[in-house]
Amino acid sequence: MTKSQKMNKIVIDPVTRVEGHGKVTIHLDEKNRVKDSFFHVVEFRGFERFIQGHPYWEAPVLVQRLCGICPVSHHLAAAKAIDQIIGLEPEDLSIPTQKIRKLLHFGQIFQSHALHFFYLASPDLLFGFDAAPTKRNVVGVAMDYPELAKKGILMRKFGQEIIKMIAGKRIHGISASPGGVQKKVSVKERDYFLNGKDIPSIDTMIEWSKEIIDFIKVYHSKNLKWLNEFAAYPSGHLGLVNKKNGFLELYDGNLRAIDADGNITLNDISNDDYQQYFYEGVEKWSYLKFPYLKHLGREKGWNRVGPLARLNVCDGISTPLAAFERLAFMAASYEKTNNKTMFSHWARLIEILHCAEMMKELLEDDDILSTDLNRRGERRNEGIGIIEAPRGTLIHHYEVDDKDRITRCNLIVSTTHNNEPMNQAVSWVANNVMNGEAKITESMMNQVEVAIRAYDPCLSCATHAIGQMPLEISMYDHFGNLIDLKRS
Amino acid sequence: MNNNTIILGIGNIGRKDDGLGWLFLDYLKKNKFENIDVEYRYQLQIEDAELICNYDTVIFVDAVKANIEEGFYFKECKPSSKYGFSTHELVPETVLHLANELYQHDLKAHIFGIQGYEWDLEIGLSKKAKINFTKAKKYFNTIRPSLEVKL
Repeated sequence: MTKSQKMNKIVIDPVTRVEGHGKVTIHLDEKNRVKDSFFHVVEFRGFERFIQGHPYWEAPVLVQRLCGICPVSHHLAAAKAIDQIIGLEPEDLSIPTQKIRKLLHFGQIFQSHALHFFYLASPDLLFGFDAAPTKRNVVGVAMDYPELAKKGILMRKFGQEIIKMIAGKRIHGISASPGGVQKKVSVKERDYFLNGKDIPSIDTMIEWSKEIIDFIKVYHSKNLKWLNEFAAYPSGHLGLVNKKNGFLELYDGNLRAIDADGNITLNDISNDDYQQYFYEGVEKWSYLKFPYLKHLGREKGWNRVGPLARLNVCDGISTPLAAFERLAFMAASYEKTNNKTMFSHWARLIEILHCAEMMKELLEDDDILSTDLNRRGERRNEGIGIIEAPRGTLIHHYEVDDKDRITRCNLIVSTTHNNEPMNQAVSWVANNVMNGEAKITESMMNQVEVAIRAYDPCLSCATHAIGQMPLEISMYDHFGNLIDLKRS
Repeated sequence: MNNNTIILGIGNIGRKDDGLGWLFLDYLKKNKFENIDVEYRYQLQIEDAELICNYDTVIFVDAVKANIEEGFYFKECKPSSKYGFSTHELVPETVLHLANELYQHDLKAHIFGIQGYEWDLEIGLSKKAKINFTKAKKYFNTIRPSLEVKL
C-alpha cells in the first residue's frame, strides 16, 4: 500500500476469540468502497524446520507442542506417519490399539468442538453483533444462560478426561508409540465414564449433544435469513471419507473433495498420494500458506475443511443419532452442497453427537482392555499420516535417513486449508457490511470476527504463535495517514 | 478429592521464569504436602470454575512481570466478571466469579504471585527469580497452618 494509491486502510488486530493471533486489513478507495481485503497471519512457525535431525520416534511427542487446543490431533497424525516408517499401515495395528487411538481422537474432537461452540461461538449467536463486548463473551453466556454454560463446561471436561485416561494428561500427554499405544484402558478407568458416579456419564453426553442440536435447529429456524446469507460463498470442500462406504471418517480414510455444486474434484485418493494432488501457494502478506488442488489451479482449487466440509463430502454417518441429524441438516441445505459459513456451527454440533456415540461404542468394547497393543513391520524411510482434526484435514509427512533422523517434515494443518476460505469470508463481510462506510463500528468489527470464527481457526497451530494478544484497531485515511487507533 | 485446598500452578516450564507456578507445585509435591491437591495449567480455563468448587480454598500461583518490592505477594483474590480477549487470557478473578455465579460456591481464594524477569524459550529460572522463589517458599511455610488445610 502506498500513499499514491489513495486508499483508506482499516486494520483489525487481532481477531478475538480465535485460538492464536490474526489481523484483518481492509483497503478502501477514495469513496470508502472496499477495494481489497486480507486476513493476515503474522506469526512465524518453524516446526517443520527445527524437528529436522530429531529421531523419528520423537515426532509425535514434539509436534503436539504446536498447539494447546488440539495436541492430540497432531500426536495421532504424527503417530500414523511414524507407523508407516516402521512398516505399518493403519489397518496393520492391533485392533485394541486402533480402538484406543480412536477413543482418544473422539475425546479430543468432542472437547475441542465443545470449547468452540460454548466458549467462543455461542456469544455471537446468543447476544448478536450489536451486543457490548463486555457482554459478548463466555462470561456473559455463563451469567445469562447458566445451565447452557454448565453443560458446556462438563462436556469439555468429559472429552478432556478421556484424553487424560489414555494419554496421562489433558494437554500434551503421550499415548501413541511407533506401532502401538503406551497403555491399555483398565476396567476402573472405563467405568468412570460409564456409571455417571463421578462425572456425568457418556449417556448424558449423548443426551446433552442432542439437546444442543435441538437448540441450533430452533436458532436456525428463527434466524434463517442471516444464517443463509452471512459470509456465504461458493467453494470446494475437502475431507476424509470411509474407505469402504464413503461415510464421515475422522481417524483414517481416503481424501475426497467436491466443488461448490457437489461435483467430485478429488476422488477418494489414498493418503500416500496426497503430494500428487496438492500444492501450497504463498503470499508475501501472510506466513500462512494457501493449499490448493494442482489440477484445478490456485484460483479454483482451494477448499474449505472442517465440520461443514466433512458433512458436505461424506455419503453418510455411521452412528444412528448423528445420521438422523445429518438428514435434517441436508434438508435445511436443500439437499445440495452447503456453502453457507454459518452452517458450520450446526455441522460441528452433529459431529459432537457422532463423537459421543462413538465414544460410547468404544468404551463398551472390551477390546480397549486388551494388552495386545504393539506391532512391528519392515522399516521405511518415509511416512504420511492424515487425520481429521477438529478444524479439518491435517497432514503430517516425514522423511528419515538410515540413522533414524528426520530429514524433511511437511505439515499442512487444518487452518492452512481454511486460509483462502477465511479470506473469502472476510471479503464477504467487507463488501456487504463495510462498503461505503467511513468509520468502522463495533458491530462491523465483530461481523468480520464472526465470519472468521466460524472456521474455528487455530492460528498458533498453523504458524506456532508465541506472544501477547492485545486488541488493536488502526484506521488510515486515503493518504495513508493514521486517523484512528483503538487498543483494548 | 479428599482435601479442602487446591493449588493451581499457572505457567510454562519451557519459558524460563514463566515456570515459577509449576516449580512451586513441584516443590510442594517433593516435600510431601500430601494434604493439598495441585493442578498444573498453561492457562486457566472455564472448567477450572467447576473444579475449584470441590474445595474450600484455592490458591493460584503464577509468575508476575510487574515489579514487586518483596519479590512475591500473597493476596486475596476477589471475584470479577472482567474478561480478556480469548480463552488464553482467563484470569483467576473471573474463574472465581464463575464459580460463585454458576455453582453458587463461595470459597477462599488467594493469588500467590512471584516476580519473574526472563521469558525466553529455555528451561530454568533466572538468578533473580530463584531468589524470589526461595523467599516465596519460605513465606508459604509460615502461612500454611492458617490455610485451614485438613491434616
